[in-house]
Amino acid sequence: NRSSDLVKVDKWDGAKVKNALDDAAKKVLKEMGYVETHGVTDTRLAICTVACLLSVLALVYDFFLPFPKSKYILAFCSVGYFFLMSILTLYTMFKEKNYIYWGKQNATGKDSTPKFWALRSTLRRFEHDYSLTIELRRGKSGRTFEAEVTKSVGSWLDEDGILHEDVFRRCVKELHSQVTKKAKDD
Amino acid sequence: MDISSWFDDVRRMNKRQLYYQILNFGMIISSALMIWKGLMVVTGSESPIVVVLSGSMEPAFYRGDLLFLTNYEADPIHVGDIVVFKVEGRDIPIVHRVLKLHERDSDRNESEPPQQHLKFLTKGDNNQVDDRGLYAKGQMWLRRKDVVGRARGYLPYVGIVTILMNDYPKFKYLLLASLGIFVLLNREAN
Repeated sequence: NRSSDLVKVDKWDGAKVKNALDDAAKKVLKEMGYVETHGVTDTRLAICTVACLLSVLALVYDFFLPFPKSKYILAFCSVGYFFLMSILTLYTMFKEKNYIYWGKQNATGKDSTPKFWALRSTLRRFEHDYSLTIELRRGKSGRTFEAEVTKSVGSWLDEDGILHEDVFRRCVKELHSQVTKKAKDD
Repeated sequence: MDISSWFDDVRRMNKRQLYYQILNFGMIISSALMIWKGLMVVTGSESPIVVVLSGSMEPAFYRGDLLFLTNYEADPIHVGDIVVFKVEGRDIPIVHRVLKLHERDSDRNESEPPQQHLKFLTKGDNNQVDDRGLYAKGQMWLRRKDVVGRARGYLPYVGIVTILMNDYPKFKYLLLASLGIFVLLNREAN
């Protein structure tokens, strides 16, 4: 590890620690050759974009045709905006949940079905236990296999907040082997 | 103060995460904007919340009080009501009480919304004279269209922040810039 590549975070900032661990886990899967799929993320971005466009429409329309002439457009944009915000909340709560990665492993020679991988992680506020779950699904409608590890973030971060990626990667690769074995034994 | 460390999060972001940071900032502004425009529609007033800028209505309202307005056509304005109006050509809303109401039945036009033909004279409770000195040159009365709304509720002191930001624009820009930078550079956990 060149010192310029070292990941250093404020060890007391939960959000930054989680982001650093999540990014490192995603890197492991990327190096295994899996292709990250962005469908779920892109849908979220699209919902947010449409919402912002609605508010821009309201702003511009009201500027050129001041209230009260703009009343109906303003009402439409306002209601539409908050409706989209509710949709966004539902979407992140029930579809995105605590997923941090979705990826696809293309079918190789002797194995005709593509495999779908996913990562979920949790690090509660003011707590130090980080949970990482890896998911493997064979084909679009196959069974989903999981493997999970929960450890204190102190297992991978030192006193100065430097993430020891080599130790963490071994952990992630171990999870990967566990779930691959589960799927093979099925 | 290590300013380059503020950008650490941003440096490690990919295109989608960067776009989401911008969207996040946009959504905060949009939420405030949509609440404001929504209030405009619901109250019928072009300025549903105003800050009392002077002491001309003491002891009812003091400088810095926040007022909630409605502007429904179906609610007729009477003498004694506290109204918020804007003098034609000037941006600043004024909060005063209706002193006199001048009505001539022959002026009334059935095709117009009610009260458009009325003329009002206003005066601040704490002022010595009526508002004719504040109206536009040659204007002796206010019309219904000058009224932005009637005070329906109020919160004391909360508007001081708005007054501060108007008196010290540098403070306003500093505050807004800090908020903007904080939102744009901080990456939320997934």
